[in-house]
Amino acid sequence: MSTPNALDEQNLIEALKRGDQSAFEQAVSEHTAGMMSVARFYVDPSSAEEVVQDCWVTVIEAIQRFEGRSSLKTWLHRIVANRCKNRLRTSNREINTDFSEALEPELDNRFKPSGRWATPPRLRFDESADALMENGALSDCLDKHLGQLPETQRSALILYEAHQHKSEDVCNILDVSASNLRVMLHRARQKIFLMVETFQETGEC
Amino acid sequence: MLMCRDLAGIASDYIDGELGFGKSLSIKVHLMMCKDCRSFIGNLRMSARLMQGHSSARVDGDVIDRIQDRVTAALEERKPPNNPGQ
Ligand SMILES: [Zn+2]
Repeated sequence: MSTPNALDEQNLIEALKRGDQSAFEQAVSEHTAGMMSVARFYVDPSSAEEVVQDCWVTVIEAIQRFEGRSSLKTWLHRIVANRCKNRLRTSNREINTDFSEALEPELDNRFKPSGRWATPPRLRFDESADALMENGALSDCLDKHLGQLPETQRSALILYEAHQHKSEDVCNILDVSASNLRVMLHRARQKIFLMVETFQETGEC
Repeated sequence: MLMCRDLAGIASDYIDGELGFGKSLSIKVHLMMCKDCRSFIGNLRMSARLMQGHSSARVDGDVIDRIQDRVTAALEERKPPNNPGQ
């Protein structure tokens, strides 16, 4: 989402440190969506907005101490995660990351007892994801299905795939183990796989 | 012997290069012989890539606007009072 006048990261950080208002406008519009994904992993959607708002206000001061050891995005995501964790410490909420099975039930049903495919994948998806995404209906369908994923899987998927965080950063931000992250990612991808397959076959979401 | 179902269980780890040499090799061997699993891995990889390009983390413009307003207000508050220029 870069506009022609957008500052690159280094200049953006310098401008944020000066308290430059248009720099904050740029940073808020570029980074809020990702920060909301982090917050929604931990707290309900309405609290998530409150947390992210509060984080931005603290960033005005905290940016002075930002030394650039991580990207601005990772730093912002950690701020949100820490704030959420502090908030949860009092509420004692358990985050459900316990998936003992690697396979989605709907996919698991497609194997014979011998372990071979009973109902193999019926089509090869297009070679290019870009071409697939140019199909607006598929993109809408993807949105819908993402909306139905458990918050934990959705956040893991968004941070890892869409934001391209490294595994260790995702684990750190979401406070999950590496093996938990692997299972969350795999379960989420299988759901996307099943969705695209249905969409390609029936044209329906 | 690695079966199709076993492969499906660790397919994401394979795609992301998170498997050790031995397991990764047994998947490669299986894929040479099994067209169905080749389709599955290809499609799962494409599913992951779909997410990479998808701006799924979109939020309401309203949310952004409210944050912009609050940040602007906080920045104003912070300005030293003796700032007669502008
Ligand atoms: Zn197979």
